[in-house]
Amino acid sequence: MILSDQEVQFFVNTIKNSSGYDFSEYSEKSLKRRLQKILIDNNTDLINLINKLKSSKAFLEKTVKDITVNTTELFRDPQTWQTLKYRILPKFSENKSINIWHAGCSTGQEVYSMMILLNELGLLDKAKIFASDLNTDALEAAKKGNYKYRFNIGYLDNFDKVIKENPFNYEEYNDVPYSKYFKIDKVSDSIQINDFLRQKPIFRQHDLVKGGNLYFAKFDLILCRNVIIYFKYSLQNKVFKLFHDHLYTNGYLVLGMHETMLGEITSKFDKKGQAYRKK
Amino acid sequence: MYKAVVIGGSAGSFQVITKILSSLPKNFPLPVLLCLHRLKHVRSGFVEALSIKSTIPILEPYDKETIKPGKGYLAPSNYHMYVELNKRIALSTEEPVNHSRPSIDLTFETAAQAYRDKLVGIILSGANRDGAYGLKKLKQSGGLAIVQDPNECQVKTMTEASLKQTTVDHIFTTEQIISFLLKLK
Repeated sequence: MILSDQEVQFFVNTIKNSSGYDFSEYSEKSLKRRLQKILIDNNTDLINLINKLKSSKAFLEKTVKDITVNTTELFRDPQTWQTLKYRILPKFSENKSINIWHAGCSTGQEVYSMMILLNELGLLDKAKIFASDLNTDALEAAKKGNYKYRFNIGYLDNFDKVIKENPFNYEEYNDVPYSKYFKIDKVSDSIQINDFLRQKPIFRQHDLVKGGNLYFAKFDLILCRNVIIYFKYSLQNKVFKLFHDHLYTNGYLVLGMHETMLGEITSKFDKKGQAYRKK
Repeated sequence: MYKAVVIGGSAGSFQVITKILSSLPKNFPLPVLLCLHRLKHVRSGFVEALSIKSTIPILEPYDKETIKPGKGYLAPSNYHMYVELNKRIALSTEEPVNHSRPSIDLTFETAAQAYRDKLVGIILSGANRDGAYGLKKLKQSGGLAIVQDPNECQVKTMTEASLKQTTVDHIFTTEQIISFLLKLK
């Protein structure tokens, strides 16, 4: 099924006129692919989809969720977590409190990875964890903190790399048991995050397109990884501006492995790898 | 007359791609888009391995990076790599297509939309069917379709799948692919 740019535009306008969601500044290629997938999954064509979107609020909400991409893993990209462990988080160790915002937290693996790391560094008690996503189903899954074991088995290696090992000293080994943070049940194929972690974060629905700061707080650290790749350059810059406005000076923004800041806003940050420090 | 080269490969393509990249002139006039499957545990180090022999710089691009001539853009591990109409790279972590992320089909299809008849597409050795659909789209957009000679491939599933779906312009050995690329201006 091949959709023209006009058809994608028609879809975007329908959503915009029938709800508060605006996908007009989403990256074209992936948006078109998401729409194609929605048409195939619903076994329908664009005209019927549009009619259904106009007549059913529930269907529209479901379609919005289907557009978002929810790939995430525990300790995804260990290098980034090692940067956080050795270079960024220690800078906040003398703070009275540490405010952290996971913007686009999806099903929560990044949030729990962060809390596990903070706990190992003795910083969890003074951390305030805020986590937001557009997709309310993803947020519900994040609150539950229950993941498929078989799907996530490979990511336990990442836990070992970040929590147990020290890349700068191969003799150091912290034998932290997984059970400290989650229960693995191979029979029911589940990893269940322990309650003391689940209870901490403040999960809220938030649409980065609309901007605004739903927490009325400033942050020491904002993580926004593999979210802005779905945005056009213009929207990326609006989001960077939003983050800049809500970071403390010397606070950090951390992006995904292959995301980068472009344009004028770069002059307001010091960049090192995927971490941007607000000047 | 061509504006870009896109190459897809999987099992058995590493030596072929290294040979191609080491034979290009330093001032090769086109960008080379590379979508190569890699083993799950070889997440990093691949770009370095290709760079050792390559005469042109090989990089794993950032999202929204502008595509420039004379550079090799390797689809990063665990991301799909698209070409936007404004000749910038777009990355995505959408679900794998035919068990592949990066997907050769998606890189070829979007490159074909961006470069149309100014694109050369090459499918190399591989053990699955990824790339067959992408090469078909490339051909339909007026691009030039080349497939590595299956008799020379370590694993011929991928090239044979492509040949089944598309009447290609050339079936070339590695040497013939290289001499073809050297003639591009």
